[in-house]
Amino acid sequence: MLQIENVLFTIVMLLYFASMILYFVYIAAKKEQISTAALILQAAGLVFHTAALVLRGIGAGRLPLTNQYEFATSFAWGLCLVSLIFILRYRFRILGAFASPVTFLIIGYAAMQSKDVHDLMPALQSNWLGFHVATAIIAYGAFGVSFVLSVIFLLRDKMKESGFLDQHIPSREKLDAISYRSVSLGILFLSFCMITGAIWAERAWGSYWSWDPKETWSLVTWIVYAIYLHLRIRRGWKGKSAAIFATVGFICVIFTYIGVNTFLPGVHSYK
Amino acid sequence: MDKAKKIWKFFTSMQFAVILLGILAAACAASSFVTQGQTYAWYASRYSERKAALIMTLQLDDAYHSWWFMAISIFLCLNLLTCNVIRLKSLVSRFRAFAEMPGPGRKGDVSAAAGTDPREAFGKLGMRRVRSGKGEDGKEILYAARRRAGIFGAWVCHLGILLLILGFSLGQYMHKEYTAYGVPGQTRLIGDTGYAVTIDDFRIGLRKDETVEQYTADITVRNVAVSGNGEAASASVSVNHPATLFGMKFYQNSTGWAAKLTVLKDGTKTQEEVVCAGDYLTVADKPDLVIMLTAFYPDYIFLDGQGPATASSSLRNPGYLYTVYYKGEVLGMNVLTGDDYLTIDEYTVLFSEPQNYTLLQIKQDRFQMLALLGGIVVLLGLFLSFYFQPERVWAVREDGEDWTVYGESRKGGVLFRERFAEVFGKGADTESSVPEERKEASGRDQDTK
Repeated sequence: MLQIENVLFTIVMLLYFASMILYFVYIAAKKEQISTAALILQAAGLVFHTAALVLRGIGAGRLPLTNQYEFATSFAWGLCLVSLIFILRYRFRILGAFASPVTFLIIGYAAMQSKDVHDLMPALQSNWLGFHVATAIIAYGAFGVSFVLSVIFLLRDKMKESGFLDQHIPSREKLDAISYRSVSLGILFLSFCMITGAIWAERAWGSYWSWDPKETWSLVTWIVYAIYLHLRIRRGWKGKSAAIFATVGFICVIFTYIGVNTFLPGVHSYK
Repeated sequence: MDKAKKIWKFFTSMQFAVILLGILAAACAASSFVTQGQTYAWYASRYSERKAALIMTLQLDDAYHSWWFMAISIFLCLNLLTCNVIRLKSLVSRFRAFAEMPGPGRKGDVSAAAGTDPREAFGKLGMRRVRSGKGEDGKEILYAARRRAGIFGAWVCHLGILLLILGFSLGQYMHKEYTAYGVPGQTRLIGDTGYAVTIDDFRIGLRKDETVEQYTADITVRNVAVSGNGEAASASVSVNHPATLFGMKFYQNSTGWAAKLTVLKDGTKTQEEVVCAGDYLTVADKPDLVIMLTAFYPDYIFLDGQGPATASSSLRNPGYLYTVYYKGEVLGMNVLTGDDYLTIDEYTVLFSEPQNYTLLQIKQDRFQMLALLGGIVVLLGLFLSFYFQPERVWAVREDGEDWTVYGESRKGGVLFRERFAEVFGKGADTESSVPEERKEASGRDQDTK
């Protein structure tokens, strides 16, 4: 089972890579058909990715969400899923050209991690694990998409000379609105993640909040996006300022995900 | 505006809330890099004396319980509370007004000309209940609204945060926490509760590869405050599966090694007790003499340069590291293995029957449910805010024949206008037609929350 998962994982990487290249070619060649092919490859990658995760889950006899490799590959899956939803929902294929490199980077990071399957320590044997990590994946994926949209927003002015890009990239107002939607989705799921994590922590460690570095940085991330949402309400904070803030928010997400596990020891460290 | 009003306005403003949130995020982020709960000496050896002094002065050693952290949290709560109190009345008015017939001349965010009765088109925008009436100017009006509850989204979210902080803070200061450890057969008093816990059994489930699958303790809790046999209840406690008995929650927290310590005087057994690693026994007829089981090694080895260690977690070669104190001074320290024993004057000391002990954490936190309720309310508030964005549409019949349709969404912006245009055709005026004075009013309203 795990051998098949390995093969599928390689196929997924190839599909995501091919999809990314096709998105780039789509921008360079300015042909709609190429974007369709890129979209199909991305969707196929997502299907294989789902299959790989399911097989790993069956092979390990548990949810594949417990170590750095499993969370990284799931993070990439979440980003791919959310970006695909936003591409289709808002008919915004160029988003794929910006989201696919981030997805590829994350799955590349996953490929560098150990794929060994270990039995779970008692504290991780909980049904809350699935809720906690699954909501984290959706939250991180949504924040990833908002980051990509913010980058597009910030680069949009520089792309003005290209009529093609100008036509295919939504207006600044729409980009800002979609980014807001994405952050909304992210903060809702991050809240779910923190609350399910607190319930689980209470059962496993007897304390639902103990200022573990991961908990603290999740709170920091939550607060940064809460500030983003509040500042948007104030006049003058939409658009560029909001895009810059969303980018800062994603830096917090990445630090919460990789930085905390690497630099700050705690119960979430995978060392 | 006098000074007091200005200060009040600032303290209840969103601007102040954002400043507090920023400080809170920065404080949490900075504190996460400082190991919490250490001593000055520890920080001085880890960093430098100057940095250690700074850490202690700023209370960064216990940042999340420091006065400044409390102050930020209290100010944030007061800001949220006043904001919610001040806003409630206007939100209720807005909620009521949102479903009412729009006044004459109201243009909405977007408008379009519709030749025929727009009821069906309203349905496409998700407006199920369409009402009709006559405006003040006598014109026929159709109007509908949906997701009005979203108006309360931020309010509900703030309420949830308040409940959460309140539940957490009350829990922090009023909860009671105890620990009890021991081997099967031992009974421990639970602080001053009047209850005692007996460890009936303790099992460590191992997998084939000797990794731990689960730690399980069977316990009985008895009321010992009353004479005779007090009320008792039993339960099984394992990691992730705490048990609640007599209003106290029992958690399987950790485990360690214990051993039987026997004292013989001139060859006659005078004392025998199970001691956990780290515990000591005072010799009954010579209280100045204390024997401590400092550490236990189940598979004892001696590593050059490192000292005693264990080769594995399996019980293959038990090693007992003991320390002997006499009148508070260390008399000796060594490791006993196999049938080794220790002789001190007329006393002989033996260690035997190593076994695992369990450490139980016992908690009483009546405010935990309040914090959980707060969390659920936060989720509800966020859901209302983001996925219940209030929208309304209305149509005014012009000249007895044609209809002009208007739409309004408080947060939908361009995405709402696009949906509106999809339904009412490309002729829709999708440029925001919110009057400047409404934008100003909205901005001010939000600014003071």
